[in-house]
Amino acid sequence: MRIGVIDYGASNIESIGNALMHLRQEFELIEKPDSLERFDKFILPGVGAAGSAMEHLRESGFSEVIPKIKVPVLGLCLGLQLFAEYSEENDTSCLSIIPGKVRRFSASGLKVPHIGWNRVKITRESPLTSGIADGSYFYFVHGYYLNSMDFAVGVADYGIRFPAIIKKANFYAAQFHPEKSGELGLQILRNFCELC
Amino acid sequence: MLIIPAIDILGGKCVRLLRGDFENSTVYSDDPVSVARDWERQGAPMLHVVDLDGAKSGKPANFELILKIVRAVGIPIEVGGGVRDLATLQKYLDSGARRVVLGTGAVNDEDFLKTALKKFGAEKIVVAVEIKNGKIATEGWQKSSRVQFDDFLLELKKLGVDTILFTDVSRDGTLTAPNFETAEGLVRSGFTVIASGGISDAQSISRLASIGANAAILGTALYEKKITLRDALAAANSNELTKRIIPCLDVTDGKVVKGVRFEDLKDAGDPVALGKKYSEEGADELVFLDITASKDNRQTLFNVVKDVAKNIFIPFTVGGGLQNIDDIRTALLLGADKVSLNTSAIKNPDLISEAAAAFGEQCVVVAMDVKKIGDKYKVFKKGGSVETELEAIAWAKEAVRRGAGEILLTSMDRDGTKLGYDLDITRAISEAVSVPVIASGGAGSLEDFKTVLTTGKADAALAASLFHYEESSVGKVKKYLSANNVPVRL
Repeated sequence: MRIGVIDYGASNIESIGNALMHLRQEFELIEKPDSLERFDKFILPGVGAAGSAMEHLRESGFSEVIPKIKVPVLGLCLGLQLFAEYSEENDTSCLSIIPGKVRRFSASGLKVPHIGWNRVKITRESPLTSGIADGSYFYFVHGYYLNSMDFAVGVADYGIRFPAIIKKANFYAAQFHPEKSGELGLQILRNFCELC
Repeated sequence: MLIIPAIDILGGKCVRLLRGDFENSTVYSDDPVSVARDWERQGAPMLHVVDLDGAKSGKPANFELILKIVRAVGIPIEVGGGVRDLATLQKYLDSGARRVVLGTGAVNDEDFLKTALKKFGAEKIVVAVEIKNGKIATEGWQKSSRVQFDDFLLELKKLGVDTILFTDVSRDGTLTAPNFETAEGLVRSGFTVIASGGISDAQSISRLASIGANAAILGTALYEKKITLRDALAAANSNELTKRIIPCLDVTDGKVVKGVRFEDLKDAGDPVALGKKYSEEGADELVFLDITASKDNRQTLFNVVKDVAKNIFIPFTVGGGLQNIDDIRTALLLGADKVSLNTSAIKNPDLISEAAAAFGEQCVVVAMDVKKIGDKYKVFKKGGSVETELEAIAWAKEAVRRGAGEILLTSMDRDGTKLGYDLDITRAISEAVSVPVIASGGAGSLEDFKTVLTTGKADAALAASLFHYEESSVGKVKKYLSANNVPVRL
């Protein structure tokens, strides 16, 4: 099994690599969408702003290719938001893999960005959350959230309820950082590698 | 979860009905507009306005008054009561209502609901599911309809309904307890659930939030002062995001050192081993600070970052001696999640903006060492050795305006004293900025952690010597906090 980690300059790519190495998974960082058939799965990481991320994906040609991928793809944090139709962050159109728009948190009295360990309610079973207890904590760092529950399989509450984990066909995504969520986070990554 | 105060209007007045019974109403105010303004001022994120006369007669009876409310406040208004045709629905949405609640109309007229959803979109339509003894109640809750609950839900799902306002009429206005089981069932069926009826205390609110309800409507409980809106808002939000406990490791020459106020430094071992130990004890994050912060040391610090990133899978911040955007980039690319900028940010505030633009606000922590001089708190640089002109609150605001995603606030007066955190400045800064604040300096007892995270309004508490000298442990602190109702990850 070989995982392609899409490298478009997101600064958490090293952390994803470290976690995959720890899990003894074979992976490669890929900067261009060439000979993708070499890979069984893909990870779209993400730390940074939606605008520059989409710009990178468009320049490299990934934006055309990613929505057509038929094997499992895992979007992480900003990666989840890039799956949406549109992001308020930098007024950016995104990959339109899942319906919904990405909005900035605006609940009264809450700190933004949403930083820290938040409970995730599992609303539907999915291979990604196999062995994860309902209500487990994961590490979130984000100022924006997806406003559609259509493909949510796990949700979190921060002033507003928003999707923490989504699954649509072969596309999986987490709004939190599994690579930084301790053992349970590693379990999510292991599940993606082994069960999805 | 949102807390939405209810304004029920009967004969132009703000009232509450007991169990939906029109004969059993209590008037709370003759002026619903000022009631709305009041809730807004107290921090309500939305209001739920119901035209009870309309609900009873099937025709809007308080439209002008509701329009006044919509215009009087800046928060979104959800309107219900007597909306049974498209024209009325359109009229409310045109007048500025965020969304409209359909009750009886939806139960009785499927075509109407279908058209409404299509025409205005699912986000504009809330379907009120009022149940009484397992059946849908209609006509302002006076008659019990024959529609079975489960069948009704299936219908709604098929029609594309997203948001359900759920009231167990047998509990509404009774201040007993909400019907958690049904609310949870609705959440599990994939609806966005607004719960209402019988919600009267912080526990119920927390429980609804943990079930996954999107919002809770509070009426009688607020008007009867069983709970304040402030406490309700806190209960709705606090149990989801935890407070963080962060051990700080001082590093020099690639080794962790322990000392008292930078003196008597002793080698305390390998950063990875210690970091791992803290991580296993339940630390929520780690901070590695290069206390020598010299140019020669930078490469050694980067090596530490690399080692930590390969072995520890919780977030960590690195700071000390990061001078420019290249240093920041290197630290982040090697696997640090955040960088902490102190003296370099004071020297060149643009560095904050540049780093935030390049890597996102979430990875820029601005650390500030403050000391009380007279009645003001001043910012110090170079490890606390040089006083600056900067006033603490103003500098914190400036840092956030420039893109800092977090403030790490150290009280020099308290650092190493074990007298407890400086609550005044922590609270002042936490209230002044919109980003999380990490309190540091002075942790001595378990209670210190609790007070700084509650009274001090800090989002996270950092400690060094207390953990290094094993006078306490991360696990002990978190257990204590949990036992004292401070939400932590155990």
